[in-house]
Amino acid sequence: MERNKMSYKVSQFLMFAGPASILFLGTVIIPFIYGLYLTFTSWDGVSKAKPFVGLTNYMAAFADAPYWQALGRTVVYSIFSVLFINIVAFLLAYMVTSGVKGQNFFRAGFFIPNLIGGIVLGYVWKFVFNRAFVAIAESISGGTAPSLLSTTNGAMFCLILVSVWQYAGYMMLIYVAGFMSVPESLKEAAMIDGCNTFQATMNVTIPLMRASFVQCIFLSITRCFMVYDLNLSLTKGEPFNSSVMAAMHVYNQAFTYKNYGTGQAEALILFVVCAIIGVTQVYIGKKGEVAA
Amino acid sequence: MKNKTIMTVLKKVGAVALTGAMTMSLLAGCGTTGPADGAAAGAAGTEGGESAPATEAAASGDGASFTIFNSKMEIQDQLVEMASKYSEEKGVNVEVYYSSDTVAAHLSTRYASGEPYTLAMVDAKDVYSLAAEHALDLSGEDWVKDTTNAIAIDGKTYGFPVCVEARGIIYNADAIKKVTGKDFNPDDYATLDSFTALIEELKAGGMATPVGIMKEDWSLAAHYLAEVYEQREDPDAFVKELNAGSTDIGADEKFNSMMDTFDVLKANNYAAGSAISAEREVTEQKLAEGEIAFMFGGNWDWSVINAYDYSENMGIMPVPQNMDDGTNTKLVGGGSKFFIIDSSENTSAAQAQAAKDFLNWLVYDEAGQDFIVNTCALVPAFSNITLPVADPLGASVKKYADAGSLIANYNYLPDDHYSVLGAAFQKYLADQTDRPGFATEINTYWKGVTLAAH
Repeated sequence: MERNKMSYKVSQFLMFAGPASILFLGTVIIPFIYGLYLTFTSWDGVSKAKPFVGLTNYMAAFADAPYWQALGRTVVYSIFSVLFINIVAFLLAYMVTSGVKGQNFFRAGFFIPNLIGGIVLGYVWKFVFNRAFVAIAESISGGTAPSLLSTTNGAMFCLILVSVWQYAGYMMLIYVAGFMSVPESLKEAAMIDGCNTFQATMNVTIPLMRASFVQCIFLSITRCFMVYDLNLSLTKGEPFNSSVMAAMHVYNQAFTYKNYGTGQAEALILFVVCAIIGVTQVYIGKKGEVAA
Repeated sequence: MKNKTIMTVLKKVGAVALTGAMTMSLLAGCGTTGPADGAAAGAAGTEGGESAPATEAAASGDGASFTIFNSKMEIQDQLVEMASKYSEEKGVNVEVYYSSDTVAAHLSTRYASGEPYTLAMVDAKDVYSLAAEHALDLSGEDWVKDTTNAIAIDGKTYGFPVCVEARGIIYNADAIKKVTGKDFNPDDYATLDSFTALIEELKAGGMATPVGIMKEDWSLAAHYLAEVYEQREDPDAFVKELNAGSTDIGADEKFNSMMDTFDVLKANNYAAGSAISAEREVTEQKLAEGEIAFMFGGNWDWSVINAYDYSENMGIMPVPQNMDDGTNTKLVGGGSKFFIIDSSENTSAAQAQAAKDFLNWLVYDEAGQDFIVNTCALVPAFSNITLPVADPLGASVKKYADAGSLIANYNYLPDDHYSVLGAAFQKYLADQTDRPGFATEINTYWKGVTLAAH
């Protein structure tokens, strides 16, 4: 068989990537295009008619102050979360690869929060914040103590804390793989050249792990920007709708307030913002990658 | 070397097989006819998410079959059980579905896939948005004359009222009697002054904080604040004035009357320091067990209260107010949850007829009446049903309904009203804003909305 014939290539492609491509097309690309179409209509989500309204929805989205507030809030939340997720994950990874006793047990332990779904996680932590912490605070102060979740900044703090707790274990695994991929010999060579352990880590290990950083930061940025389940179960936007993140606002706009087109347009804006940030980050990260 | 090649080939084959298997399982997942979420419970043999498409006539009886969408979570088990009995007795295959999704969002997925529910239980506002395109005109049905709670649009009846629900202050008469030593008669406390005096008496008697407040946005804005619109001659005109900006709600007598009462409730809230993190279940438990005596709510709260060790003598009373317009002797409420029958070509005439028969069975058959009143503990919305209501809150509502003392729900609030003004109300509850500030937020909100035509 002629290996560079078009038919051969096509059949090879279909054999390996065909099923995945069809699924991807059916579940991502087509709905995406259809969603794009819906942003130009004033559909309410249930009626049969989908009147074409041009760019009205985008104008409504740009004029929707709560949406931009929610988006701004999401940016703040993402910055803190991404920062802390990666710091914590890196330190954990460093710890569990440094040869401490029972490190496999720790690896599994730190990873477990990630196995609990966001919804369950939210309810569990809601209980912890509303009951457990309050009870502890009250027994210490002797008076009544408000729950962290009932204050504007407190709710944001809770969201960030739980996100870090949830994702740090997952990102830790990627960092662990990064640590393991750096050959021991390079570190040894650095030590022989006069580095101490810290210097060897900073100058040899970390630069060689750059791919892990790029990957972890990308994953955590996209996840934080799209956060919904945790937001819903932990704070539900309360207090006073001050913890409504962008994705939750989009959902409310589309399904609760029945402005489907506007909600869809806002979702698209969120996607674009997220894509720009993600791609830029990966581009910058990859540019400086070094190989051993 | 040769071994390696074989290994590679094997690996490739394995990978392809694995991909294939995963693909098939994914595709199989998409192919099931049951709804993605929302438990489906087939009555006649089918179990779980898998269910026979409604359009294929079932083998049983005269071949009729229909689907019911339930949006009232607390009666799901009862509905499923009833459907199975109904199927056996009438030879009609009935399937009950439930989803915790927003009703409109869930139904839209079914409309889009061409598999609408024959009978869908929706909220009042959904009837208005769905009727024109999706609901069958039920004006010709017998039950229309026996209820004042059905929803008619332009003279045509579309919505069959499932039950009556009303709002007011839930009281625990046993807890009050325990402190005051006197039998509690809610009629004596129609004015805020007498109500406040009672609260002071309770406090003096050892019940330090006699009130609980639900901080949920729907309770505050859609239920409590809504009474400000509802307790007047013409709610529509008032809302239009607010929308046009020609009325300042801060200067409105009714608003101030209701907020005066709310201030008393707020000042005596057991969770005053952490009002907006108070959990509904905790509040209702305290009310049920008599630790507090009052909470604003409705008879649907019974489904929460009866999970606890509740007191025997409980009930609902009107919100006490000093404003003397007669509204402080009435509850606010009416029909709640409505059945609509699908009008599309995906529902056959036989199915629609079977669904109509089912609605008549609920109203006129003894077993149907028993199901509504006793099995589901709902307050019936039909005047011909005289069975006594089982739960005490429902009994209160029935008493007011029978006496004609229900102020009608205002069903045309914009969809984001409860969320936006709920947040504003929560701020007021948490002392983050004062009454003029709250009034300003309400005024601003109404000026910014587009009122739906009705």
